[in-house]
Amino acid sequence: MSAWTKVGAARSADASPARRPNVGLIGAVFFIVSESMFFLGLFLAYFYLRALSKTWPPPDTPPLSTVLPTLNTGVLLISTLFMAWAERGIARGDARRLQIGTGVAAVLGLIFLTIQAFEIADLGFAPHSSAYGSAFFFLMGFHVVRVFGGVVFMVIILARALIGQFSARRRAAVQACALYWYFLAGVWLVVFWVLYWLK
Amino acid sequence: MASVSIPARTEYLRHGLVSWLATVDHKRIGIMYLASTFVFFLLSGLMALVIRLQLTAPGLQIVNQDLYNQLFTMHGTGMIFLFTIPCLVGFANYFLPLQIGARDVAFPRLNALSLWLLIFAGVVMEGGFLLGILGLLPGGASNAAWTAYVPLSNKQFSPQIGMDIWLLGVVLLGISSTLGAVNFLVTAYTMRAQGMTIWRIPMFVWAMIVTAAMVLIATPVLTAALAMLIADRNFATQFFNTANARLWQHMFWFYSHPAVYIMILPAMGIVSEILPVFARKPLFGLKAVVVSTILIGVLGFTTWVHHMFVSGVDPIVERFFMLTTMIIAVPTGVKMFNWLFTMLGGSLNLKTPLLMCLGFLSTFVIGGLTGVIQALIPLDMQLHNTYWVVAHFHYVLFGGSVFGIFAGFYYWLPKITGRLLDDKLGKLHFALMWVGFNLTFFPMHFLGLMGMPRRIATYTADRGWELGNLIATIGAFMVAVSVLIFMVNFVRSLRHGARAGNDPWEGNTLEWTVTSPPPEHNFDTLPTVESERPARDLRLAASNPTVPAH
Repeated sequence: MSAWTKVGAARSADASPARRPNVGLIGAVFFIVSESMFFLGLFLAYFYLRALSKTWPPPDTPPLSTVLPTLNTGVLLISTLFMAWAERGIARGDARRLQIGTGVAAVLGLIFLTIQAFEIADLGFAPHSSAYGSAFFFLMGFHVVRVFGGVVFMVIILARALIGQFSARRRAAVQACALYWYFLAGVWLVVFWVLYWLK
Repeated sequence: MASVSIPARTEYLRHGLVSWLATVDHKRIGIMYLASTFVFFLLSGLMALVIRLQLTAPGLQIVNQDLYNQLFTMHGTGMIFLFTIPCLVGFANYFLPLQIGARDVAFPRLNALSLWLLIFAGVVMEGGFLLGILGLLPGGASNAAWTAYVPLSNKQFSPQIGMDIWLLGVVLLGISSTLGAVNFLVTAYTMRAQGMTIWRIPMFVWAMIVTAAMVLIATPVLTAALAMLIADRNFATQFFNTANARLWQHMFWFYSHPAVYIMILPAMGIVSEILPVFARKPLFGLKAVVVSTILIGVLGFTTWVHHMFVSGVDPIVERFFMLTTMIIAVPTGVKMFNWLFTMLGGSLNLKTPLLMCLGFLSTFVIGGLTGVIQALIPLDMQLHNTYWVVAHFHYVLFGGSVFGIFAGFYYWLPKITGRLLDDKLGKLHFALMWVGFNLTFFPMHFLGLMGMPRRIATYTADRGWELGNLIATIGAFMVAVSVLIFMVNFVRSLRHGARAGNDPWEGNTLEWTVTSPPPEHNFDTLPTVESERPARDLRLAASNPTVPAH
């Protein structure tokens, strides 16, 4: 408690509201920069290995079906719409919209994870099959891990929304959560394109 | 100022061990950063002494080859990941909020998490090393050098669990330093005092902003590579097959070359703080210093392949990286001139902090020049993997970063402890360390040119390497003695040192306007800044009441 409340109190007492920047949101932006670089590292590895391989994917790899991931892309995009709807809602002070929107977005996130689990189980190759398999699983897997983290974040936001912690003036955590969720949807679009469509 | 009700605190949160474990105060966290990283410095220093003893004369067997490999691996890892990088972060923790006139960092609890992750990672890595050399881990500790090149570090050639412990430690350190970087960037961006516009930001803060941005961009790529290597070793993934081994080098150096600037920029920031104070002049070409700091940060990401000229990279690519490596010397040279001109015509106050800065300038310039020489591809093919390289990077990281860190200690410890360090002992420390450092590392240039490879556990008598190695070992022990003198000086100062007062050096920045040590909340009222030297403004206003106070 102590120093934290003191700092917060001191900040709100000294800085005029107009000058008080949205610290949490700026922090989320910088965090997302580091997350982007992590995925960039994985993508670089993917393309490096791809460039060094004679055949990509290896000849005995079963062909990928795009049915489930296309469906899943829809699920994730609709989820971001609900998140945006929730965020707009609380910006106008509508706590109910925040609760419903975040709740639906989180459930859609769980559906995404479930479908991803089926997709990964049915791929027909494994991380240790080839360099292709390794790079494929890393991109899919680390995105799944992040989406799980995003769902946990949304559940926390939902719980805090239900006990009435957010308002039009106090919604930095909602904004940070929404921003991270849009980021994950954006990463998925690139992952989907690179793994399933790029020839 | 509106009155603020602060909840009363129980006694155990104010004093004693629990208060340190539970603290989120940036100053206490900074002290714990400095103290823990100094312990890691001493451990890595001891390893260096064993390495030097082993190489004193041809054919010595003080430690066997296996142990030797583990020693230089942990020496390098410890010095880089557990000392130089986080020690400078420790200074930033303590002084960045004070210098920008804030009461803490933006995310104090996240800050505590960074610290404890660092300490945990350090204990894991040093613990793994200790168990390894005591023979309690099958196969020993990691022995694949701090670069952990594949295939040396893969399951086939490094089957021991010590390698996994090492990799896990580096992952944890990466998370710690990424979280720290987010914290510093947000703090510097949002919590500066009223009036602290971009050209009034202190030089050390500027250095930390650029450093944190580099950490944020570079570290996750290393984390990705480490995750891939851990998976290769434990889940049979195939990222780093022998055919793809260069992938590790690219990803490793994409982080680890910027890491050189992550280690040197904050030290440059410290030098840029100290020189104007001890020359009693404004910093020469402030904007040029800031712009060159940013340029070094940007260009730092364009040079990593110069570590790989013998790895079989396309010659066109190699030439590009040769040029970028030479270009990055330009902003560094700009800074050199700015520092020299700051001192020129100044009334030099020849105290230990200034001497340490002179040590920085005199040795870092050699490290910088040998870097440009090494950038030449045909020369690099000869110098690669020889003691020349060891000499070069010690001139950068010891001659640069470590002299900068000690300059920071002599300059800022009085603010932290409230007591001045003894200047005579400080000068003795400086003289011994400067001479010892040059004795250790200057001969290594010649050893490298004579063909002595890095990382060899011993050598035969017919090579002509005896004299250089003997001198280097003598120098290393002089450095060790000088560090002991520093420690004695520090411990003595806690009891017997002269009171520092608020401002023992007539400083320029806001940390000198508060008591030593500063109160827990730093500033009674948040300061307003009207120039790049706010503490000087206040001092002048106080000594001359007719001039309106800034």
